[in-house]
Amino acid sequence: MTVQPAMPKCWNVESKPHKFCPGCGHGLVLKALGQAIDELGIQDKVVFGCDIGCSLLSWDFFNVDTIQTHHGRTNPVITGMKRANSDIIGVAYMGDGGGYAIGSQHLVSAATRNERITAILVNNTQYGMTGGQMAPTTMPGQKTETSPYGRDAETTGSPTQGPEMVAAIAPEGAYVARGSVANMKQLKGYIKKALENQMAGNGFSFVEALSLCPTNWRTNARDTWKFLEEEMYKYFKVGELRVPGPREKEGQ
Amino acid sequence: MPEKPIQGEKRVFVTGNEVVAWAALAAGAEIMYGYPITPQNEIMHYWTRMIPKYGRRFLQTEDELSAGFTTVGGVLAGRRAFTATAGPGNTLMQEPISMAEAMRLPIVVVVQQRGGPSTATVIYSQQEVTLTTLGGNGEGLRVVYSTATHQELFDYTIKSFNTAWKYRFPAFVLGDGYQAKMRESLMFYDPAERGIEMVPTEAYVGRPGMPGADRPPTHMRNTYNMEEELYEVLQGYLADYAKAAPEIAEHEAFDTADADLVVISHGVVSRACKMAVKELREQGYKVGYFRPITLRPMPEKALREVARTAKQLLVVESAQGQLDRLVKEVIYGSTAEMLPLFKPGVGITSEEVVTRVKEIKG
Amino acid sequence: MVAIGPRIVEAYVGEYASGKSEVAVNRALDLAAAGRRVTLVDLDVVEPCYTLRPIKKELEQKGVSVLAWETRDMVGLGETGNILRAENRWALRRPGDIILDIGYGVEGAKTLALLEDAGSDPDLKVYAVVNIARPMTGSVSGIVQYIRELGRIDGLINNSHLGDDTDLEIVQEGTRVVGEAARELGIPVIAVTAVAELADRIGPADSAGNPVRKLVRYMPRTLW
Repeated sequence: MTVQPAMPKCWNVESKPHKFCPGCGHGLVLKALGQAIDELGIQDKVVFGCDIGCSLLSWDFFNVDTIQTHHGRTNPVITGMKRANSDIIGVAYMGDGGGYAIGSQHLVSAATRNERITAILVNNTQYGMTGGQMAPTTMPGQKTETSPYGRDAETTGSPTQGPEMVAAIAPEGAYVARGSVANMKQLKGYIKKALENQMAGNGFSFVEALSLCPTNWRTNARDTWKFLEEEMYKYFKVGELRVPGPREKEGQ
Repeated sequence: MPEKPIQGEKRVFVTGNEVVAWAALAAGAEIMYGYPITPQNEIMHYWTRMIPKYGRRFLQTEDELSAGFTTVGGVLAGRRAFTATAGPGNTLMQEPISMAEAMRLPIVVVVQQRGGPSTATVIYSQQEVTLTTLGGNGEGLRVVYSTATHQELFDYTIKSFNTAWKYRFPAFVLGDGYQAKMRESLMFYDPAERGIEMVPTEAYVGRPGMPGADRPPTHMRNTYNMEEELYEVLQGYLADYAKAAPEIAEHEAFDTADADLVVISHGVVSRACKMAVKELREQGYKVGYFRPITLRPMPEKALREVARTAKQLLVVESAQGQLDRLVKEVIYGSTAEMLPLFKPGVGITSEEVVTRVKEIKG
Repeated sequence: MVAIGPRIVEAYVGEYASGKSEVAVNRALDLAAAGRRVTLVDLDVVEPCYTLRPIKKELEQKGVSVLAWETRDMVGLGETGNILRAENRWALRRPGDIILDIGYGVEGAKTLALLEDAGSDPDLKVYAVVNIARPMTGSVSGIVQYIRELGRIDGLINNSHLGDDTDLEIVQEGTRVVGEAARELGIPVIAVTAVAELADRIGPADSAGNPVRKLVRYMPRTLW
């Protein structure tokens, strides 16, 4: 008897085993996304956009049309695509740098315009691919290559509260949530709702996924989970922040 | 009073990115603004590690647009400010650099070229020559130094602050990913001990006194209502640039007087060309070596002289004719045959140059 | 040279460009030449494409097993940054000697946390490679401060050099400076490394009695 790996059907088997580091959270987030796509039966409608950084390793991850964009530009590329062809289900995938630093203006604009796309942002508190520099989500006191003595919130600010910001500015119809790879069922549920929200044409859908980076955190397996569940949970609250209400017709 | 980062002089063994950080410290640079992009990250890594000791500052911005504009801000405040970038980051930088060009602001930008276009490779190229010399929506009123050794990375990073503040044009140190990561020995020195006086900075805004009462207010702009206004301003800038160009332009050359073929290259590729030309001469070929050190302004007089006497010019670069284009503009009218050795994004060895010359010579 | 004896497990740490990779590569080759079974592991997670990858085949031909990315595995990964190779995490479970090249980075020695069993391996020794020609570790106080930040260090290696401009003087000055730092830290200097021509002039041990390890330079080939 052979044991089948529990891979989502929409995953591209040819590109497995994938290139992410052992212990990386990306594999888990992409699994949740893959399961959601399978359950909704939309594999042939999804177009997946990935950013620069570790998210770019997902460029051949799915049996789904994929475009690797420039750093921070996944939201506008997927937005443009969706505007030109609304049959596409556009998924913009990015890291904390791509979403909250260089891509922040595009995230804000996509939110305020209520773009009918689904943005998924992976938060691991630093810039992984380029060697572990500080990110907007780096926590106070956290040592990175550009905060070698620990992040000083006084001079460099506090960790970006992305879903909170999007929830505050997006019009009615938006869906905003923050999940965590420590709770896969919940994360998959959020991602599924974020896709359904796009399919219903309601508004901008955004899910931040708290994730892992043992390579740059320099942590073993046990300490990696500890960092997520004890440290990150202090600054980043898991839950749904915006769920669209029943749609009301204008003027009524 | 924080101590001097380099006292006296000392021979050290470092990577190119580290050289830039140390040179900026030695030059008295007060603040660096930057955003992570390979292959220049170690400039920031080392700057952030060393600045608490020497009382300097740093800001990691949200992207390169911001890194460029914050550098503009730093310079307006009268500080020696600089930034560093590469590839797609350099593309973004062109907007703030245009503002610096338009307003004669002495920003200093270090570029470590990587493969292009778009994300391409993080490793190496000479494909940002056009972008760095003539990028943005202006007339290329900039100074660009193309370095070939770590000693030059050190010397010219210091020099770029002085050139920028003396002539008030944006100044660039154009390196590449190989220089950034390569390890070499060089001499670190305190500029003061070598008789190099750092050109003093001055604030454009925020000076003491009540504006309108104690002193005139500073009103700066980069927009004009009428075409004629813009034309006048640019004529003034172009005249300043033309006057400064012969003082700023630098080059390196040997064996060109009697050469029938001259090899032209810049930056790290010139190391391979230097070796190749020496080897070819030993084998009896009448070849010469020419290397512009400033790509903006080009060393026009010296280059035109070479183009006058040589029959063939071989342009060697890790790009598809970006140096070639600059050379052709300078030597227009020359009857020398222009020949290429173009390898966009790929390193070039001295063996390849020797082979190419022999192939040309038959 | 090195007799068949207890298992050798060494992690080479140190400042950026201090010579960790060169020292690690040479150590692995020396062990292989002595007939020992040895694996060289690339644990550089900041700059993996600039270390062992290009010389992997040559090292394997000389009898060293190498755990590092192949160039073709990296194809399509534009940014080619730091990705930890899964097999490398389990290196300590392999039989024979293990030589680990640990990259730089803030808290670089903490990279050992990524290695399964690093905390419990009885044979593991962590050696810091020091080159006094590098500004951050150019003085006794600089070295002491740097080493103290690294975490557990079992020994220092004097790898003082100036690349192509290396002379006997810098090596001997290294012996003096690293030696003094070692005394202050209470950590032994376990070797001095130098290219063959200089090593021959020094002899089997330097003026402080530290064993000399001859280096053949492989790393310059890993960039171009």
